[in-house]
Amino acid sequence: MLACLCAVLWHLPAVPALNRTGDPGPGPSIQKTYDLTRYLEHQLRSLAGTYLNYLGPPFNEPDFNPPRLGAETLPRATVNLEVWRSLNDRLRLTQNYEAYSHLLCYLRGLNRQAATAELRRSLAHFCTSLQGLLGSIAGVMAALGYPLPQPLPGTEPTWTPGPAHSDFLQKMDDFWLLKELQTWLWRSAKDFNRLKKKMQPPAAAVTLHLEAHGF
Amino acid sequence: MAAPVPWACCAVLAAAAAVVYAQRHGPQETPHVQYERLGSDVTLPCGTANWDAAVTWRVNGTDLAPDLLNGSQLVLRGLELGHSGVYACFHRDSWHLRHQVLLNVGLPPREPVLSCRSNTYPKGFYCSWHLPTPTYIPNTFNVTVLHGSKIMVCEKDPALKNRCHIRYMHLFSTVKYKVSISVSNALGHNATAITFDEFTIVKPDPPENVVARPVPSNPRRLEVTWQTPSTWPDPESFPLKFFLRYRPLILDQWQHVELSDGTAHTITDAYAGKEYIIQVAAKDNEIGTWSDWSVAAHATPWTEEPRHLTTEAQAPDHDQHHQLPGTPTHHEDL
Repeated sequence: MLACLCAVLWHLPAVPALNRTGDPGPGPSIQKTYDLTRYLEHQLRSLAGTYLNYLGPPFNEPDFNPPRLGAETLPRATVNLEVWRSLNDRLRLTQNYEAYSHLLCYLRGLNRQAATAELRRSLAHFCTSLQGLLGSIAGVMAALGYPLPQPLPGTEPTWTPGPAHSDFLQKMDDFWLLKELQTWLWRSAKDFNRLKKKMQPPAAAVTLHLEAHGF
Repeated sequence: MAAPVPWACCAVLAAAAAVVYAQRHGPQETPHVQYERLGSDVTLPCGTANWDAAVTWRVNGTDLAPDLLNGSQLVLRGLELGHSGVYACFHRDSWHLRHQVLLNVGLPPREPVLSCRSNTYPKGFYCSWHLPTPTYIPNTFNVTVLHGSKIMVCEKDPALKNRCHIRYMHLFSTVKYKVSISVSNALGHNATAITFDEFTIVKPDPPENVVARPVPSNPRRLEVTWQTPSTWPDPESFPLKFFLRYRPLILDQWQHVELSDGTAHTITDAYAGKEYIIQVAAKDNEIGTWSDWSVAAHATPWTEEPRHLTTEAQAPDHDQHHQLPGTPTHHEDL
């Protein structure tokens, strides 16, 4: 059962909205956030490969296609196409922020249990990068004047030692965590593409051809 | 007088013809259809006739040699594709048609080849299939698509009979898709299935309208422009990146450039005066694989016009060879 205490994340100091005059707008930080998702996705590929090998078969088999059971509390990237398209900027950013907050929490739980030092190192490194992504998203939200999501009382994820959980089921949870993380990173790239395009000033794509005079 | 007699004569002839027709095309109007395996042996009985009945067999109207007969049954060994046809057996004396068989020689289907691809992400994907070797007889295909445990509809392509289309209802799914296909014909049955994630099958169509132009006064430049494939539904939210390759026709080695956005690029290191071949490929920025290469564009960089020397006054020199206009003078000849 995936459950986790992440009080520290929900109490990040509120970043004041940037003074609008003279600032380049949220564009550069959206680009930076996009770049971070790409970097993390790349990092995750090798991390997931190593971790799944550590879990052993069938988790590391390419055709492994289990039904999605358990891991109900994981934030799911999947969304109806039309709903996704019509998300407003605030909601889009909030969903990303909340998802990574939860995922980071679960990843830290994974790290606690990981058997080898090398795995713990890789996971710790990844967690740091993921924390960076969260900070970047928070920065974009602040620049746009959106408040950071605060957990409703009672929904804050708390870690409770759940009922003794078979080894296999625990591994299934780990598998879905990594899968969901990978999918979220792909989704975020698309989310930030969409935000980027919306933030850009109308593209005046003028290509000047300097004619050679006197030719 | 003469009129009734020819009329009566025609009536009798017509009646006779009808009887003969009825006898020839007796109760067996439609032939029995039979499928047999290539290379096998088959024995065709003459309907319900006794084994020792005197019959003649014909295939597509041509008599068959009696040595193929086993009593009244026709024996064909080592069936080849050429054996396919209409086999008819007749009562030897009356030419009464006893039995007709439409024989089709073929093979049971081998495992079909199935592939799926999304060139219209995020709208949907399509799956295509074919048999690795022909069966020579009609086959029916049945495709099922599962997303986790949910069955999805695969709509037949209006034009291509070995293709169907699936629409995405949800994006960014962690659950794999499983596409199964079964094929059967009169001689056998086969099936296969593939499983994949939403992202791995994304492959756009090649860029369109690739045009390469020389750049005036720049002998080493070529300007290349292209368009995103028209099948890609949403380049704004799902931008494509591009890969350009170019080489002069006289060389085998390609130069490559990867471009993260924009649909234009200027080549600045072209060999002067050489004709170039240029192609572009596309890929979603984050997921999937590169498209096939586009249709090639050809262009030659701008070259300076050769100077014509005919307008310059030349000293009359009878020893000089007659010069073609435009060629530089060979001072060595003087």
